[in-house]
Amino acid sequence: MDSDGRRHSRSWDWDSPQCRAQLDEIFFRQHDYIQKGSPEHKEFWAFFDRFQRFKTKRDISGSGGAGRKQDREGKDSRRSGKMDLGLPKEYDARYRINVSVCTRDIEERLGKSRSWQRSSGPGSQEISDCRLALLHFLDFSQKQSFGKLAKLRQEQKNLPIFQYRDRIVALVQSHPVVVVAGDTGCGKSTQVPQYLLSSGFNHIACTQPRRIACISLAKRVSFESLNQYGSKVGYQIRFETTRTPATKLLFLTEGLLLRQIQQDRTLAQYQVVIVDEVHERHLHCDFLLGVLRSLLADRPGLHLVLMSATINIKLFSDYFSSAPVLQVPGRLFPIQVIYQPIPPEEQSSRSEKLDPRPYLRILQGIDQRYPPEERGDLLLFLSGVAEISTVQEACQIYATHTRRWIVLPLHSTLSLAQQDKVFDIAPPGVRKCIISTNIAETSVTIDGVRFVVDSGKVKEMSFDPKAKMQRLQEFWISRASSEQRKGRAGRTGPGVCYRLYAESDYNAFAPYSVPEINRVALDSLILQMKSMCLGDPLSFVFIDPPPAASIQTAVTYLKEQGALDSHGELTSIGSLLAQLPVDVVIGKMLVLGSLFNLVESVLTVAAAHSVQSPFLRSSQHNPDCATARQPLHSNHGDPFTLLNTFNSWVEVKGERGGGSRKWCRRRGLEEQRLYEMVNLRRQFKDLLRSHGLLESEYSASSGSDHGKRRERLTERRKLHQLKRDHERQEGSRRKVLRLDEGQDGEFSSGSDTEGAGKGKNDKEGSGQDMDIQEVKFKLRHNVSELQEAVNVSQDLSSRQQALLKLLLCRGFYPQLALPDEHNSTRKDSEQVFHTKNKQGVVIHPTSVFATDPEVLQVPEDDTREMGPDRKGSSKHQLLAFVTLLETNKPYLSNCVRVPALQALLLVANSVDSNADCTRLVVDGWLELELREPEEALKVLSTALTLRAEWERLLQAQLGQSTQRGAAFQGVSRKVMEKLSEGLVRFLLYTEVSYSLRRLTAFHTQNLYIGPRSESELFHTKAPDLNPLFPGAEAKPDPIKGGLHVTSFFTYNCLADSKDLYSECLRMFWSCPNCDLYMPLTPLERMQHEASCRPAGEQQQLEEEPQGGRAGSSSVTSLTRVYHCDVCNEDLNLTSTEILKHKKQHMYSAK
Amino acid sequence: MASHCRQLFICQLCGLNSPYTYYGQKPPNTRAIVLLEECFVTKDPFSPDKERFLVLGSLCSLCSTRVCAGSDCSLFYTKRFCLQCVNKHFDQFPHQIQTELAKKKQSSKAAVS
Repeated sequence: MDSDGRRHSRSWDWDSPQCRAQLDEIFFRQHDYIQKGSPEHKEFWAFFDRFQRFKTKRDISGSGGAGRKQDREGKDSRRSGKMDLGLPKEYDARYRINVSVCTRDIEERLGKSRSWQRSSGPGSQEISDCRLALLHFLDFSQKQSFGKLAKLRQEQKNLPIFQYRDRIVALVQSHPVVVVAGDTGCGKSTQVPQYLLSSGFNHIACTQPRRIACISLAKRVSFESLNQYGSKVGYQIRFETTRTPATKLLFLTEGLLLRQIQQDRTLAQYQVVIVDEVHERHLHCDFLLGVLRSLLADRPGLHLVLMSATINIKLFSDYFSSAPVLQVPGRLFPIQVIYQPIPPEEQSSRSEKLDPRPYLRILQGIDQRYPPEERGDLLLFLSGVAEISTVQEACQIYATHTRRWIVLPLHSTLSLAQQDKVFDIAPPGVRKCIISTNIAETSVTIDGVRFVVDSGKVKEMSFDPKAKMQRLQEFWISRASSEQRKGRAGRTGPGVCYRLYAESDYNAFAPYSVPEINRVALDSLILQMKSMCLGDPLSFVFIDPPPAASIQTAVTYLKEQGALDSHGELTSIGSLLAQLPVDVVIGKMLVLGSLFNLVESVLTVAAAHSVQSPFLRSSQHNPDCATARQPLHSNHGDPFTLLNTFNSWVEVKGERGGGSRKWCRRRGLEEQRLYEMVNLRRQFKDLLRSHGLLESEYSASSGSDHGKRRERLTERRKLHQLKRDHERQEGSRRKVLRLDEGQDGEFSSGSDTEGAGKGKNDKEGSGQDMDIQEVKFKLRHNVSELQEAVNVSQDLSSRQQALLKLLLCRGFYPQLALPDEHNSTRKDSEQVFHTKNKQGVVIHPTSVFATDPEVLQVPEDDTREMGPDRKGSSKHQLLAFVTLLETNKPYLSNCVRVPALQALLLVANSVDSNADCTRLVVDGWLELELREPEEALKVLSTALTLRAEWERLLQAQLGQSTQRGAAFQGVSRKVMEKLSEGLVRFLLYTEVSYSLRRLTAFHTQNLYIGPRSESELFHTKAPDLNPLFPGAEAKPDPIKGGLHVTSFFTYNCLADSKDLYSECLRMFWSCPNCDLYMPLTPLERMQHEASCRPAGEQQQLEEEPQGGRAGSSSVTSLTRVYHCDVCNEDLNLTSTEILKHKKQHMYSAK
Repeated sequence: MASHCRQLFICQLCGLNSPYTYYGQKPPNTRAIVLLEECFVTKDPFSPDKERFLVLGSLCSLCSTRVCAGSDCSLFYTKRFCLQCVNKHFDQFPHQIQTELAKKKQSSKAAVS
């Protein structure tokens, strides 16, 4: 019959697009099941070609002889004397398809019009050929999809947890709290939510400690619950959500659920809350459990499911009044444990480098014992990055020699692309040797690992509340951790775990790791507790209460920061900080920044400090990277370098779009961090705006015109399509690693040759990857708007720079460090600094000051000897820093330099003076001596005035923000500008020579005069200082002595060598503003200065109110109440009058 | 609890289950396509296209057992037969099908032993 067909279609060519188009008219019309132009349509024609080839091949080989078969068939049916099924006599594969396609209507129509159609149209043979192919195609797609479904169901059935399905559902239905404990591979994270969903629970939240897990679980579970393309299952993380009103199962981070509880006290939106991985004991998770525990009483209908590894299950059950526990066995293959303690001669002492020999021996042992055809990779656990690179180096030499290993490091400071390599596949005969921190213990799961080497060590962050310092120390791991590491060898087959310690060591390990809550600063936690009205943190029932001292330190710190008042209640700034998902320090910076015209810069710096540094450590030693980075560096401090980097990146993005990837690589930057920054920045901006701290976006002129908007809309549509396409392609196969993979990576990541040297496959992969980041970026942000915003913060004038530094310093305070006085005689790498509680700290090598420490030194030409060991200068500087972290040394990182005297006077919590204010002690540890009493008084007086005004405006703005929805009017722009002008002038043009030193314990012993007797006090009758510091009453300080003038300034409390009476010594002084010329005490003088306004202003004060009152009724409609802060009066003025009024102040001020 | 009320297709032989949205020979929005038996049909969960359907299974034309479309449970040859019925009337099926089934039996036996 085929030869028949060929004869008929002499002019018919299956390969001709025209011919195919004619068939498309019959089978793939606009409303057909498969439409012309759709992906399936394309697939069909590809299928068609294969189908035709298959048919021809079968015909040639003659294996499908129809005649012969018919014979047999007839006999067969006759022979069986049973019921006749009425099957056709002749076999045809067509009979196995349960689908048919009816196209008779069109065929008939075509038949009628055949007369005028050309003879090249499809004949009935062609049509039936095409139909047959279509039927097979439909059948094939059905089989394909059904196969997927069957496989899926089979996999679900094979999970250990499957047998417990009904019991889990029944337990949850009958108990408010259930604990499901199961080890790796039992399937609890993917299955339990599905079981609950399909048994009728409708609003389920499932928390995860990691964002990445939220995304991958949501993806997997939506696939498994056959809702891959719906939104029944979604996730929500910081910047991304797939949640819709139809979402019934939501994966989210612990932190996010806590934020939701802040908004929705009873969590009414959920019926079930599943808290996964509770055994990991993260800070957020422990806290969340505490919050949920107290919430259960208010929400009788709420079901809580805790999921954990089989670690310390009783603890969780007991915490929830003996909640039922369901234990599920894991699915692990047997693992052989080999204890191989490191011999004493190879054990390194603390200061030495790790000896890699024990690790090398294991690689050699594996090569000897296991043939290379037997696959299985090696996972090696070390404590830290330095240890990893030591062992990596040694292993790489061995690997290069044997060509049987690919050595790959894995830790969080690697670029994401580098981290991703551990998932790629080694070529046959070669094993991966992954050298990892404990990141591979829980966060990263690598399949195919057969051998695990466990050093038994971990570096963990601990917190020293006394020095307010983080410490990264090496510890022995816990038994639980050790078992977890071992388990990594048995995920895909039987495995071996080499423990580089003795069994007796193992038995001496702590049973469980120390929960995070006992290791970290609790500032943010306490703040959040306060804002959730959870009462006294000390009496909150935690699953494992943190040390009381830790809580106390946090409360004290929050009070210092102004987030809590003296009674421990939340202040207005505190309640705002509680809602910002960042560190208190960063939050404070944002609030401060919103007051001045520096919001854009502060947003960037705050965002930069909330993500990992974009500067890759590995590129630091690459000279090309260093050169390319140079223009980004700012010797004012690391925040400025980050600011420059971000701004330049945005500029590149605007100009070159996806080209930014290359730009980043050249500079050794992880672009992902910059993407995170831009998202965070936007979130911060929205938060500030929603709290009324920022004006709402004025409609950008560029975006408002119709054409542009439309353009943007079309662009967005395109971008969305690209994103969808990418999502569809995602999860494609893994790459195969090259043998020399481990060797380059580390150091060539910054050079351009990297991309070129790689295989085609890889380049395509990265190209795809770049597109999607760029696409997401463009979808989320309007690049031109962002550029505008960034332009504002680019090329900061020196004045803006000074102000930004001050803001950062106030944000970072009390984290200040003083350069050691002998630094100028030391090498660059040996520069030493001191903080209040920790002496002899050094600058982290990643900081700009590590390479350029001279900028911190007092210039020689500016110094004057002020006595033994005291250099007088007006150029002393301090470092304000974000973190103090002790590893092998205590390191300062993220530093900014600030002028010492000015910064201290403007931000310090405690400033104490002697009688003539020439000696100042700040926070009880920094001593400043000024040469001239005259200058000293002036500086102090100016600082006090500026600070009072700053505080007033800040409070005004925060007060405004608490009245939600109110327009941004708290602080008028002019007033704010006047303040920033004053601050800048003070910062830049104060040229007072002073000495600066750190007080030793000896000095601080007799620092203060101490309380004085009544008679002495009588002497110095407290002057009324209220006009100077509203609300503050100068009263004797009960401890230090002297007069407590403001919350931070105590006058004349320092025990001085000078005579005690200088405070009442009056000296002739002439006021620059008024005609006053008379003898005054220092305090009297400051008082006068604060209340005496320049002549012009005073005049204004008298005139203005009259003008306001005289305004006729017709004018008053145009006037509004204007509060002039200079005159300190409410005036009724029109807008022009306000401007005039302000101008007068400006002129008169000069 | 809408999900609870959704009709569930369960294969009586292998237990495979999935909710179905349509039972019959003409699933919605399939235009020229007609099924040659009454089927349990759902939206194809593996296709982004909302209109794609997936046949989960149907009733055996002989014994009316609910069977899934998987080749371990049923076979379509002009009609749906559950594999039990196929075995009962093994000799009436064309030799192509017979050899196929025999091969399958062997390989599954090999896998078990």
